[in-house]
Amino acid sequence: MKQKKLSIFTSKILYFFILTFFLVFLYFIYLDSFNKENISKAYITNQGDNTVSVINLNSLKKVKTINVGVAPLGITVLQKKQLVFIGNVGTDDISVIDAVNDKLIKTIKLHTAPLSLTSNSEETEIYITDWFKNNILTISVEDLKVSGSFKVGKTPSGVTFNEKYQYIIISNRDENTIEIYDKDHKLVKKIKAGAHPFGIYSIDDFVYVANVYDDSVSVINLVDWSKYNFLVGAHPYNVRVHNEIAYITNTVDDTLTIFDLSSKKTIKTIETGETPENLDFNFKLNLLVNTNWGSDSISIFDAQSLQLIKEIKTGAQSRSFGDFILH
Amino acid sequence: MKKIIFALVAIIFSASVFSHGPTPQKVQESVTIAASPQKTWEALKNYSEIKKIMKVRSFKDKLMKAKYELIEKDVPFSDYNAQIRVKKGANDNESIVQWTARFYRTYKLNPPIPEGQDDATAVAAVKKIVGPGLEGFKKYVESQ
Repeated sequence: MKQKKLSIFTSKILYFFILTFFLVFLYFIYLDSFNKENISKAYITNQGDNTVSVINLNSLKKVKTINVGVAPLGITVLQKKQLVFIGNVGTDDISVIDAVNDKLIKTIKLHTAPLSLTSNSEETEIYITDWFKNNILTISVEDLKVSGSFKVGKTPSGVTFNEKYQYIIISNRDENTIEIYDKDHKLVKKIKAGAHPFGIYSIDDFVYVANVYDDSVSVINLVDWSKYNFLVGAHPYNVRVHNEIAYITNTVDDTLTIFDLSSKKTIKTIETGETPENLDFNFKLNLLVNTNWGSDSISIFDAQSLQLIKEIKTGAQSRSFGDFILH
Repeated sequence: MKKIIFALVAIIFSASVFSHGPTPQKVQESVTIAASPQKTWEALKNYSEIKKIMKVRSFKDKLMKAKYELIEKDVPFSDYNAQIRVKKGANDNESIVQWTARFYRTYKLNPPIPEGQDDATAVAAVKKIVGPGLEGFKKYVESQ
């Protein structure tokens, strides 16, 4: 009788322990998924050492270095699918990284140098500028294979996707033009830009392109095709626009130009690391990040006050040509 | 010895790696000078030998950073831009001068790349300017 009571008691304790353990287990799973969903990361292509640095933007720390192909340059991040595509101009291939665990999951052979990458808004197709053979290559995100290509102008460089009009827009550096293609890869318009148009960005009704040799940015209206230029610092490389403000990297000046598109005036010029090339935002954390090719680092600014928060060492010759932040 | 072998391997590797694409090349070298950063910075602004090779774009006193572009056109590299920075050394009377150059090879089109227009040729030519340039400047400052 006494023994039976004891055994009921023991089984109750056991039951209690199992339940507690289970709840703790669930709690950790919950915490883990919570963490993963909320961590923003910057992926930095280091062309000089064939790696990608992963920077946790919540803790502002470098958390991982991933080996990719030779001379990685271009990049695009699929926010919904949590995939990162990297273009390696030395090995003529694409490295695909799973952004959940930051592991290389696939290498896609191209047999030509991929200069820059972007995706459509549904994240089903990747567009790659093929610098040597003057094509846009497409990759199916589902199959992770090259799905096609179409001819474009000479030395296609920057590529961006306009969500509103579903346009693929590229800059052709050596022929000083911008080309706009529709979803079916038909040319909609070809427009003269400044000298050596390179980094390109498009949102709503406009396209913005940095003209490296002219020290200027061209702004093109996608509705009436009107165009104007504004001057920035020496050898601008890329441009991003948010709330009617344009942010431009000036590679030779080691600065960012902050330009108000409504009043058409430069509001501010801020110092970066050496040879700033590309830039991207994280609005959740209110951060503006740029890569510094010269100082092998990234500079992280408060996107509102434009105060430098931190400079973080990455790898050799950090570039990240494209969108490089996972929100 | 290990370090030397590693450096050699790194140089050979980095020169052969960029056989494709329009990849900017980087030459970055430093020299330690037995003078305070302020003295070295002032000397850099007055030193005429470097100005014979490169045109000054800017001198940023606060950052002790000078920006240059190339004067000579007949060189086996293109789109050259450089900067020289003066940084603090191990003590108050020592400074580190760092010269960073960014440039491309002369041939930017589709491979095959003609001989003498490749990345390795461009890097070697820039190293011939940067190394002796820094040594000459060191001698100049330390003899003052």
